[in-house]
Amino acid sequence: MKSVIELDNVSKKFGKEYALHSIGLKIGKGITLVLGPNGAGKSTLLRCMAGLYKPDSGKVHMLGADPYSDAGIRKRISFMPDNYGLYDFLSVRDNMLFFARLYGVDDKDAVSKALETLKMLDADNYIDTKVGQLSRGTKQKMLFCKALINNPDVILLDEPTAFLDASSSERVRGELSDMAKEGKCVVFVTQRVDEATRFDSRICVIREGRIIRDTTTGGLYDELFKETTVSIRLAKPISAGKLRSLGNKVKIEHGNMVKVSIRNYRDINVVLKKLMDAGAYVASVDYAEPMIERLYRGDNDGE
Amino acid sequence: MKGFTEGITTENKSIAIAIKDMREVFSSVSIYGPMIGVPMFFAIALPFLTVYVALHAAPSIASRIAAGAVSGVSPSQINSLSFMYFFAINVLGPIFLTIPIFTASVIAADSFAGEKERKTSENLLAAPITNGELLLGKILASLIPTIVLTVAVFGIYGATVNFLSFQEFGTYILPTPTWIMMLASAPLLALAAIAVVVFVSAHVKGIKEAQQISTLLVLPILLIPFISILGIANLNVSFFAYAIVVLCVVDSVIFYISVKDFKKEKILY
Repeated sequence: MKSVIELDNVSKKFGKEYALHSIGLKIGKGITLVLGPNGAGKSTLLRCMAGLYKPDSGKVHMLGADPYSDAGIRKRISFMPDNYGLYDFLSVRDNMLFFARLYGVDDKDAVSKALETLKMLDADNYIDTKVGQLSRGTKQKMLFCKALINNPDVILLDEPTAFLDASSSERVRGELSDMAKEGKCVVFVTQRVDEATRFDSRICVIREGRIIRDTTTGGLYDELFKETTVSIRLAKPISAGKLRSLGNKVKIEHGNMVKVSIRNYRDINVVLKKLMDAGAYVASVDYAEPMIERLYRGDNDGE
Repeated sequence: MKGFTEGITTENKSIAIAIKDMREVFSSVSIYGPMIGVPMFFAIALPFLTVYVALHAAPSIASRIAAGAVSGVSPSQINSLSFMYFFAINVLGPIFLTIPIFTASVIAADSFAGEKERKTSENLLAAPITNGELLLGKILASLIPTIVLTVAVFGIYGATVNFLSFQEFGTYILPTPTWIMMLASAPLLALAAIAVVVFVSAHVKGIKEAQQISTLLVLPILLIPFISILGIANLNVSFFAYAIVVLCVVDSVIFYISVKDFKKEKILY
């Protein structure tokens, strides 16, 4: 794999605390998820890649250059921070024009690109609204729009769907998948396991400033769905007798939530079939909680 | 509706930053209102007060001013016109010289520390701009409105002084070479204030701290009328020529320290 981004033994400290500890990472084209709990160092890692922070030691190579000192290379990068950070006093259009000018994008192209993205997110009617008047979710759509204004080769996103509704989140994910297919490099930071596992991609798990797992979506299921439990939400409760007939270890949580022990993720299909055969209607399966337990609280480190 | 900047073809990133910052300052009347309104009010009110004092109380007040303060003329000889002349240049001039410091401090603090306070700096610093382009844009955003306002206020105060002196004494007082030199020093005072804000903004969390520290620069300016009244120095062309040279050196030193100290992550959080 040819690296687009290369982190060579990167460490970053704030005061005496290490936010990143000797990170070595090579990221190629396509989507890479960086997954970790609060305070794991995800945003610091992204800021080092975006050239906002200079590492205390080690080097960041972005498209073969140092993004901190080489302003020119940042023309090909886009960064979407987690705090939306657009200018409240300017309209969406003027925000886009301002950033477009910094990236050397022609005004006309910028407005046309912004309208195209906003239309995709069903927000083009806000183009002349001042950003300060928009809701948190709509502001995040505008920030995503800004992130695409320079048609970047590398896009770095910090929790880009955190405040979006389900449909807009899906559209953002769809756009990112399309970009990955076009050969762009997409780095997506999130703390939500359910978000990370929506992509069929590489997943780097970070905790306490270190990459503790470098895997894929499928790999994550293989590695973490062993001898664990999943929560299954039923549309209506069913009798304890029918639940016992499942054979797996079952615990009724509250009314129509049941917790079922499984050996691996393949067991989920078996359990669901048994539940449906018993007359239950399955509303959802929550697999995130056990994965979070294992990922963030230290079980199975480095498997 | 088309945007304010749409259609401008310049690719100068510093100008884009300067325009954005100036728009931010002038987007809220609560920021630019007092910044413009108060000096404008005083530019008219203070000359009126001066002419009133010159006509009705000049001899008695003049006797309290140190002898020889007005070009060797003794207090007993000071008539209303010479009092007006002295006061319009030696007292009102330095008072209005505080405008570039206050204005530049307010705008520069908003421009630098404001990005940090409003958490807008990440998008800006991730853009392909050099530190030089960023600093130049922000300096221009503070300097241009400051110079425009200072020239406007000096113009209004000069016109008011002339109007009143012509009405009462049939002669114009301003401009004089000293007054013009005083005005010429204004951009350098503004630059000093901006340089201090650049330095301070990297070390404080918000706009208020940055403003408070930089506005301390007005203190030496406020001493000038007293220096003049007490006869310690004569405010003439040479005085301001020396002041301009000193300010050039001081500005260069503060800017050198500020730019050397400037690291973009310092205005992140």
